Amino acid sequence: MTSRKAFQLRFGLRAKLLLLSSFLFIIPWFGYQYVWEMEKYLRFGQEQTLVGTARALATALHERENLFKNQASFLPNVEQGKDLYGYQLTEAIQLDGLHNDWPYFSQRAHFYNHQQQLFANEPLSLNFKASVGKYDKYLYLFFQVVDNQVIFRGKNSRSIINNDHLALSFSDQNNNLNRFIISNKQAGWISAFSITENTDDIPKPAPHIQGHWLITPQGYNIELRVPLKTLGDKIAFAFFDINQPAGEVVSAIGSADPSKLESLGTILVPSPEIERIVKGMRYTNSSIWVVDQHHRVLASAGSLKSASGVWHEKEKPASESEKSSLWYQFKQQVLLPLYYKVLTKPPTDFIDKLYDARHLSGEHIVSALTGKATSQWRLTTDKQALVLSAAYPIFINNKVQGAVIVEETTNGIRTLRNRALEKLFTVILAIMILGALTFIIFATRISSRIRHLSTQAEQAIDTQGRIIGEMSVSTSHDEIGDLSRSFTTAVNRLSEYNHYLESMSSRLSHELRTPIAVVKTSLENLALQEKQRLSTDENIDKSIDENNGINPYIERAQTGINTLNLILTNMSEATRLEQMLTRTDKVVFDLKTVVSGCIAGYRQVYSDFTFDLNTEISKLTFRGSPEHIVQLLDKVINNAVEFSQDKVITLELKHRNGHAELLINNNGILLPELLSESLFDSMVSLRNNKKQEQPHLGLGLYIARLICQFHQGEISAENHHSPDGVTIKIVLPTKV
Amino acid sequence: MTKRIAIVEDEAAIRENYADVLRTQGYQVQTYANRETATQAFNLRLPNLVILDIGLNEEYDGGFVLCQQLRAKSASLPIIFLTARDNDFDTVSGLRIGADDYLTKDISLPHLTARISALFRRQEAFKQPVSDEHITKTGPLTIDSLRMTITWHKKPIDLTITEFWLVHALAKHPGHVKNRTQLMTDSKIYVDDSTITSHIKRIRKKFIKTDESFDCIETVYGMGYRWLSDIDNTSEHD
Repeated sequence: MTSRKAFQLRFGLRAKLLLLSSFLFIIPWFGYQYVWEMEKYLRFGQEQTLVGTARALATALHERENLFKNQASFLPNVEQGKDLYGYQLTEAIQLDGLHNDWPYFSQRAHFYNHQQQLFANEPLSLNFKASVGKYDKYLYLFFQVVDNQVIFRGKNSRSIINNDHLALSFSDQNNNLNRFIISNKQAGWISAFSITENTDDIPKPAPHIQGHWLITPQGYNIELRVPLKTLGDKIAFAFFDINQPAGEVVSAIGSADPSKLESLGTILVPSPEIERIVKGMRYTNSSIWVVDQHHRVLASAGSLKSASGVWHEKEKPASESEKSSLWYQFKQQVLLPLYYKVLTKPPTDFIDKLYDARHLSGEHIVSALTGKATSQWRLTTDKQALVLSAAYPIFINNKVQGAVIVEETTNGIRTLRNRALEKLFTVILAIMILGALTFIIFATRISSRIRHLSTQAEQAIDTQGRIIGEMSVSTSHDEIGDLSRSFTTAVNRLSEYNHYLESMSSRLSHELRTPIAVVKTSLENLALQEKQRLSTDENIDKSIDENNGINPYIERAQTGINTLNLILTNMSEATRLEQMLTRTDKVVFDLKTVVSGCIAGYRQVYSDFTFDLNTEISKLTFRGSPEHIVQLLDKVINNAVEFSQDKVITLELKHRNGHAELLINNNGILLPELLSESLFDSMVSLRNNKKQEQPHLGLGLYIARLICQFHQGEISAENHHSPDGVTIKIVLPTKV
Repeated sequence: MTKRIAIVEDEAAIRENYADVLRTQGYQVQTYANRETATQAFNLRLPNLVILDIGLNEEYDGGFVLCQQLRAKSASLPIIFLTARDNDFDTVSGLRIGADDYLTKDISLPHLTARISALFRRQEAFKQPVSDEHITKTGPLTIDSLRMTITWHKKPIDLTITEFWLVHALAKHPGHVKNRTQLMTDSKIYVDDSTITSHIKRIRKKFIKTDESFDCIETVYGMGYRWLSDIDNTSEHD
């Protein structure tokens, strides 16, 4: 049972309390849930605000036809490459034929090849990339042309078309067609000529179109600009390829046929009027776009990176005194890194490539362009930030002509949430640390008190069940105090009871002594009377005289009473010994002499027994009471003699580690396992019920133990085998 | 003249039994059941010998009180404690307050009467001149078997009857080991071994009181005791 228990996991009070206190972890979970809930409402609020912003802006744009008039917004459809979009450039362009200063050139440029060819008499040996941008008052155009052979205009050639040239046509504000040809004699500043429909007209130089022609390994680059005030909303350009000097045009590629007004494509540049209106809205911390029905951006304001919504409050930088405080340092260095293991900081640096600068796409826009206001949540393309976008249609003449898109990131809300969670975590951490500390202290106190109590209880009772100490009474008024008090009461009562039992034999003998004395003296008197009667009537009855003169009944009664008396004396022997021991002084004597003297005595007393003493020591100085050591030996030897079967008693006396060790062996029956510990207790006897010469009360070995205890020693009994028998081992410390 | 013996004993049966046996021995016996009646009687006239029980009815130490009172009245009155209490403490206390002997109730009547007559004999002997025929000398020890007195280096040692008999038994054959049974027979007591041990201890103490270097009673462990009267011991003192 006990061995099995040892393998069981010990689940102490402290562990239980800790387990119970783990329910405290529910509190932060609730807090976390609450903050999440709050965030949800905030998001909903943000969505509403955003839709409101979009509606407000759309309201400002409703029914303002003129804002959209010169845009291509009224076109039923747009054709890539033909209908151009002038990107809003953020910096001035240097006209040098290099596209370094064109932002995102490769993405924004459109590639023209045989699909856009106008005509070809020979296999096509030309293609180009074109990009359009708007800066300040000019429209910039950049062409990167790949041509196997660059043919410039001959030095003396009057013709401007018998070489590689660019034809550029656009309508002006009054919707008249203006045609130009860029035809250079050499690389460098471009030469632009204005031509008319009449081919016989001499081309006039057009100095307001400026630019640069650059020869490249693949062909040539042309970078040019046109003043916006001369520009309408239609445009077309085409490259004409000549393969030999002063040759005929072999092929042409372009956005549209530049020769007729009807065939021109459209150009859309961000509208400064709409932008002006939109700019008024840019203080809303949102990113705003206005698109036409072809998803092309008419105006934009704000950047998504700074559009973190109305909830976004710039965090006040900590003051110097705050920064130097210990709490701030601790928070910055320990707490916040810990929190942000769980929380995510909204990224300030995210990439969103969903929108091209001229073309926006998305379900919400599609939905808005069908006349339905929508809002949607989406992740940025790098999945770093969550973006809320709201789209609202712009109506002109009951037709959707465009849409307003307002976007914000949830960074503001997330920052707000994070800050709330930081505070929550700090408070919860503090509460939990305090709570855990309190719990641990409380549990430690309780368990130590209980352990103390259990140690006390264990120490109060020895392995033989005797009370060996007293328990101190606890003064606390709680349950453990009550337990301690009831333990103490129980131990004290047990102690009293044990004391009663231990002193019972002597008490009994004392109480019995008087009645026995009565019987004894009465019997003796009776015997004396009998004797006297016999001596006076000697002659009358001779038969009694023959029976030793005394009535046999009296004699038997006397024998019985003497035995009874002996029993009583033996019964009180232990008590008397205890009393005597308390007043016995220890003297220094030689233990070896005492033991060998005793053995000599036993050889006389038990003449048919053999006593062997095995010892290597010649003298063993011992401090104690020799008379009692003799008494101890008497009891043990008496015991050994009675249980010996082969009439050989072997004794061994050793001196080791400051202890005198005396072993008394006898061969005979073994001790039952159960009794080996209690053998030395009062009134325990192993003797069987066969007829005994002397009365036995089981006090002999009890007395032996008393004497051993007086000498701070120990006595124990063990079985030994082959041959079977019992060894009594007495260990007495010599250094006392 | 008939000796008068007073028995103070609360247990009527024992009292009467003792009284009967002593009467048959020819003594005049008066019995008292408690301290008050005994004290009243003793105030009128002292008996020749008193047998006392320690516990008298309610009085746990009534016998001791009575003994002290009697001893105050007469220094030579023989007083015997006859009690059921067999512990060492009571024995020592009883003898210390002036009892001549301390007997437990398991003593046999012949042993009791032997002691009583011995006490009377000793009393008688003191009235007679010292005669040499009863005196034996062993080294510095002188034993007067008639007066039951012992001197050591000519100084008297005050011993009870039991103790005297023990010393007498030991010193009669110096050098011979007497085991406990023999000693018990000689001293007319029948007790257990440890009582002999404590008797011997008391005797040693009494001798040591007069002579600190006394070492004549040797314990032969496992056997008994013997009286040493070796030359070393005597030469030291002679």
